Amino acid sequence: MNIQKPGLTLYGLFIVMAFLAAAALLFGVAVSSILVFLLIYAALAYSINFITGMIGYVDFGHVLFMAIGSYALATLVSYYGANPLLGVGAGAVLGLVFALGIGLVILRFRGVYFAIATVVLVLAAYNIVLQFPQLGTGGEIIFNLTLQPLTPYFTIWTIVLIEIALTYYVNRSRIGFGIRAIKSEEDAASSVGVSPQRLKLIGYMLGGLFGGAAGGVYSWSTSGVTAGPAFDFTFSLLMLAMIIIGGVGTSIGPLLGAVVVYIPSYFLLTSVAQAQPLIIGLLVIIMALFLPDGIVGLLRRSNERLRLVLE
Amino acid sequence: MVAVELIVRDLAFGLMLGCVFSVVAHGLNIIWGVVKVVNIAHGEFIMLGAYGAYFLNLFAGITPLESAPVNAVIGLLVGYAFYYAFLHRELRNKQTITLQSEMVTLAATFGLSLFISNLAIILFTGNPVGVNYNPGTLQFGYLHVPLAALYVAIVSILIIAGTWLFLEKTFIGSTIRAYSQDVTATELVGANPATVASLATALGFAVTMAGGALLTVWVPVGINPLMGALYAPISFVIVVLGGPGKMWGSLVGGLTLGVLIDLVQAFATAQIAYAAAFLILIPVLVFRPGGILK
Amino acid sequence: MPLLQARNVSKNFGGVQALKDVSLDLPESAVLGLIGPNGSGKSTLLNIIAGVEKPTSGLVTLDSKRIDNLRTNRVVRYGLAKTHQIPKPFSNMTARENVAVAVLYGRRNIHSPTPALEEADRILSMVRMGSRKDAPADSLTVQEKKRLELARAIATGASILLLDEVFAGLSPEELKDSIQLFKKLHDELRFSALVVEHVMRAVLSLSQKVMVLEEGRVIATGSPDEIVHDEKVIQAYLGSKNPAA
Repeated sequence: MNIQKPGLTLYGLFIVMAFLAAAALLFGVAVSSILVFLLIYAALAYSINFITGMIGYVDFGHVLFMAIGSYALATLVSYYGANPLLGVGAGAVLGLVFALGIGLVILRFRGVYFAIATVVLVLAAYNIVLQFPQLGTGGEIIFNLTLQPLTPYFTIWTIVLIEIALTYYVNRSRIGFGIRAIKSEEDAASSVGVSPQRLKLIGYMLGGLFGGAAGGVYSWSTSGVTAGPAFDFTFSLLMLAMIIIGGVGTSIGPLLGAVVVYIPSYFLLTSVAQAQPLIIGLLVIIMALFLPDGIVGLLRRSNERLRLVLE
Repeated sequence: MVAVELIVRDLAFGLMLGCVFSVVAHGLNIIWGVVKVVNIAHGEFIMLGAYGAYFLNLFAGITPLESAPVNAVIGLLVGYAFYYAFLHRELRNKQTITLQSEMVTLAATFGLSLFISNLAIILFTGNPVGVNYNPGTLQFGYLHVPLAALYVAIVSILIIAGTWLFLEKTFIGSTIRAYSQDVTATELVGANPATVASLATALGFAVTMAGGALLTVWVPVGINPLMGALYAPISFVIVVLGGPGKMWGSLVGGLTLGVLIDLVQAFATAQIAYAAAFLILIPVLVFRPGGILK
Repeated sequence: MPLLQARNVSKNFGGVQALKDVSLDLPESAVLGLIGPNGSGKSTLLNIIAGVEKPTSGLVTLDSKRIDNLRTNRVVRYGLAKTHQIPKPFSNMTARENVAVAVLYGRRNIHSPTPALEEADRILSMVRMGSRKDAPADSLTVQEKKRLELARAIATGASILLLDEVFAGLSPEELKDSIQLFKKLHDELRFSALVVEHVMRAVLSLSQKVMVLEEGRVIATGSPDEIVHDEKVIQAYLGSKNPAA
């Protein structure tokens, strides 16, 4: 990677996060209700980055963990009157546990087989959830909270901050070397002592943990959950698109991707809503074929100074 | 006796549904088996095939069965273009596809899937449409079989048999098979690997888009821009069940899935049936990673 | 007591018997050559010892601990590393990062990247690739990629190296250079090695002992000198009266 000024990217990201915190505190509800979704998108992008971005296992079903988190929070809050923060925690833990169970089986499948297994798992889960009337008719739970927008905002803000620090740390540590080796040549990695099974599971479980947490905050912010949108591939696809556009595996890419995918969708919502996914699709094609490191790769190639600091 | 009659009926419909599933998955199977690439946008080309049949019916007044060959010709051209736009850069000068290239093709075709389905929403609107094609029913005792479904089942089997014959008995076919075994082998018989791979991709697309036309018989009012999101995963499961690259595998996988869905649906709900149909992929991958065929 | 032992190792692929009752001993610091025609089972034997494949029957032990039921990455922890016949560099990394992975995950007890990268530089200089340490791995030449394989195997801290055709495909000049390098490394590091090779000249000049496989069986074992005069070996390499040529 040849990074000359380690840490600069991390400090930069912390400054951006500080601005996001300040913006919410200064301008209150008006700004934070927009930015909370940006942060949820970013949290989701970082979560899928742990498995797909860093290890190279394409996870089309990552929305599963988000849905698990959403249902965990919705159930706890609406049926047990629990504090939403507890719901977020439960979502994270459940995401982790599910990732462990599922990962033990499907991480044995390589490449496209893993990708396809993740697709069918979401579809199966969607159909199964519709079977349980306890989860609301049509898999719908709606609750009413006297919403204090700053609490979910700073919850997701904290989650993203942890994700950024963890991504950065993993990339620079021993485990990052092992993960990049697996991404390149899984067999060769095990022939120098790397345990692909263990590292893949760690990455997938981190993905499940943060995916679940972000899902919890999502249903908290939208005051409910329905099976259709919860298991909708749209979010899986957006998560993938964000890291492909931003730059897979990097510390800054998921945030860049979240900005590119979310901000226009917010402002264009009324005018050219249909064109938005169309443009995202086109961007993904261009990035995948011509710019494998996304915007980060583009920036690094365009400027010598950026090449040395962007991670 | 009523229960037996119901099971026979479900079995018959399951088999006919399985035939059309097979042909819809068959195009994916050809590409996956030969060039070792999974086209995530597969479902979108099924959808385009279905719209093809719809518009041909609307403007030319022809039946889905007659649109299938028209679609196939369009599919050949689309597949050829698809190969050079999406696969050529990753496949040329390579003996086997690397994990890295696999990721690139997954990501790029995923982008294509987003692009096409959303373009279709703009062009065709989200409202479902259908093709009215009803040549009557055939009666076997208590069993009423819609002729449209029967014809489609027969044509599906013929298409699969046709591609099998083409790959087994013709020179181009044997070159394609050689490529699927070993890319260098194609050069030994004097063929350009890229030409062979693009031909196989074009063939796969022809079958996919023809399959999309045949599928319209089963979705009388359900042709919509997002239908690919259901038929792509079904195709993935079928190809894994039958084993990528095994021509008859599509039929075995499709029939298994068709019967499974119809029978489970008879005893439980449609949701459970589809969940079972998708989940069956996991044990197959664990215990028989090469597919259920020997 | 020999360091690495294989006892009556057999391997079936479907109905095909790839190995039948193969046994070998590799004492400490010894170099054992393994030759045989194409498809004689050399690579299969290497894969079984390295834990890439499981034997159908038989045992492999390292310092009398069983290793044939372990995964490759576990076997590495026991001090055994294998190179790949077709080099498999981590193409998303530089040469030194490639070697650093092996330092970090072998049995060297170096767990942080900075010292691992320094150690990687030292090993790359040892295999005379010091000047190429910052080159992206996929930009290396075939010979350099083979050296990188060797460097990674050494970097794990292995006391036993399984070398799968590291001398194949080199020019006569490169071959001479590589043989000399191997001898120097062996003198310095005193590892033991199992060398699978087509290039007869390399095997004969490096090995103290040579084992010949044909159709999955051992047909001869002996010093390089005995092997080139063995009737059965000459038969196995039918067409060339003198396999050393």
